[in-house]
Amino acid sequence: MSAALSGCGPVSNALVNNGAFQKLLTAAEPLNHALIGTRGLAREYRDGDVDRTFRVNGFSTPSNSRYQTLAASGFAGYRLLVDGAVERRGAFDLHALYAMPQQTQITRHDCVEGWSAIGKWSGVRLADVLDAVMPRGDARYAVFHCMDDDGQGHSYYESLDLHQARHPQALLALRLNDAPLDPDHGAPVRLRVPTQLGYKSAKWIARVELVGSFANIAAGQGGYWEDQGYEWYAGI
Amino acid sequence: MSAPPKTFLYRYSWLTRASHWLWVLAFAVLVSSGLQIFNASPNLDASDKSDPARRVLAIGSPADGVGTTTVFGRTFTTTGLLGWTDDGMGDRGAHAFPAWLTIPGFQDLSGGRRWHFFFAWIAAFCWLAWIVSTARRGTLRQMILLPSDLPKLWPMQAYYFKLRKEPPPHGLYNPLQKAAYTTIGFIVAPLVVLTGLALSPGIDAIAAPLTAVLGGRQFARLWHFTGMLLLLGFFAIHVFQVATQNVVNQMRSMITGWYQTNET
Repeated sequence: MSAALSGCGPVSNALVNNGAFQKLLTAAEPLNHALIGTRGLAREYRDGDVDRTFRVNGFSTPSNSRYQTLAASGFAGYRLLVDGAVERRGAFDLHALYAMPQQTQITRHDCVEGWSAIGKWSGVRLADVLDAVMPRGDARYAVFHCMDDDGQGHSYYESLDLHQARHPQALLALRLNDAPLDPDHGAPVRLRVPTQLGYKSAKWIARVELVGSFANIAAGQGGYWEDQGYEWYAGI
Repeated sequence: MSAPPKTFLYRYSWLTRASHWLWVLAFAVLVSSGLQIFNASPNLDASDKSDPARRVLAIGSPADGVGTTTVFGRTFTTTGLLGWTDDGMGDRGAHAFPAWLTIPGFQDLSGGRRWHFFFAWIAAFCWLAWIVSTARRGTLRQMILLPSDLPKLWPMQAYYFKLRKEPPPHGLYNPLQKAAYTTIGFIVAPLVVLTGLALSPGIDAIAAPLTAVLGGRQFARLWHFTGMLLLLGFFAIHVFQVATQNVVNQMRSMITGWYQTNET
């Protein structure tokens, strides 16, 4: 078996570089999306299940001066911009976000790498924010622009379709485990999408842009990791 | 003296043969790309969330040049085999399974996932095709182990051990074959699919009892890995049996469909 498989190495490596074959492999994504979709509710846990030291997923605190300046002021100058295909642009400071109805969920974060951790998240339902700005009829996706970059000119971003964005557990989280988010965990505002893998739960969100298509944003695949080959539909 | 004429039975339909060989390919890809996915988080926990206290398997590299494998708390040095292995780029590094065993043949989680999901669909269609084709030919019923076969299991094994001169009377498949096909085809293979689906947060939101009954998400990952090992074990026995019993006739029948019934 191993000998046969090691012989497959050169074959599989050739196929890795074959665009048409890689395109063929992506045929599984719409099937997975159609089969699983965004239905039901992620399981909610009890207080005792929470990981008090929640593992940091993805990158740690952004090092750029824009973020560092905001963090140094306790995010006093922070505004969450919500714009694009909306009737009423919104700019929410932290007071405005805390003044909205708060949801608390104790849900499991499943990282694409394979590990899982449970956190207690509180914040504003994304659906409530969308209701406040009233997406126009041509809006199909919410794109989340983040304050971190990978040092090579690529900013983190993510996207959800409006069905996913209006899921009752899709949360703009302000707090983790009964304390305001710390910088490593996405302060001041991060996304929580417990029905999909962790890379959807973007941290350090500065702006939510409603669009009809994300084809013209960055490399056009709908997210930082999606642009590097990960599936846009992250429910599996 | 002339040899008696050869007689042939058309044993496998084209659908059975095509799905059999496509399944071989899909299984090889699923194992290799699965190891690639495993490498991104090379631990298996008997728990829902990740929990080092309930870690069953951990493959790691505590220091450069050293690979270790910890099974049920016992640590073995496995440098070169597991933990510190071929990185697929001409060097060695902290890789759980060596790159020559994984698809793609270097660290690439998103690539591994693409291969895995595509060939998971292929394998599922192969399984369905096998059910349909064998049901249509009436052989599916003869593959399933029935309660009446249970008393014949030991006599059949005794025959293989040469403790009995004749096998117990049986139909197209002997009781041990039926036990193997039933276990693998109708229990292990579906469980591998279900345990894989249980890893999906989207499925978990739809069918929470599935993940719960498996002991949680990380536990499902452990079951999925265990199911893969069981399938590999079946594969090894299956290939051994084909290789040691009328290999030419067996291979011909799975390629052309025709099995020689009077081979001596």
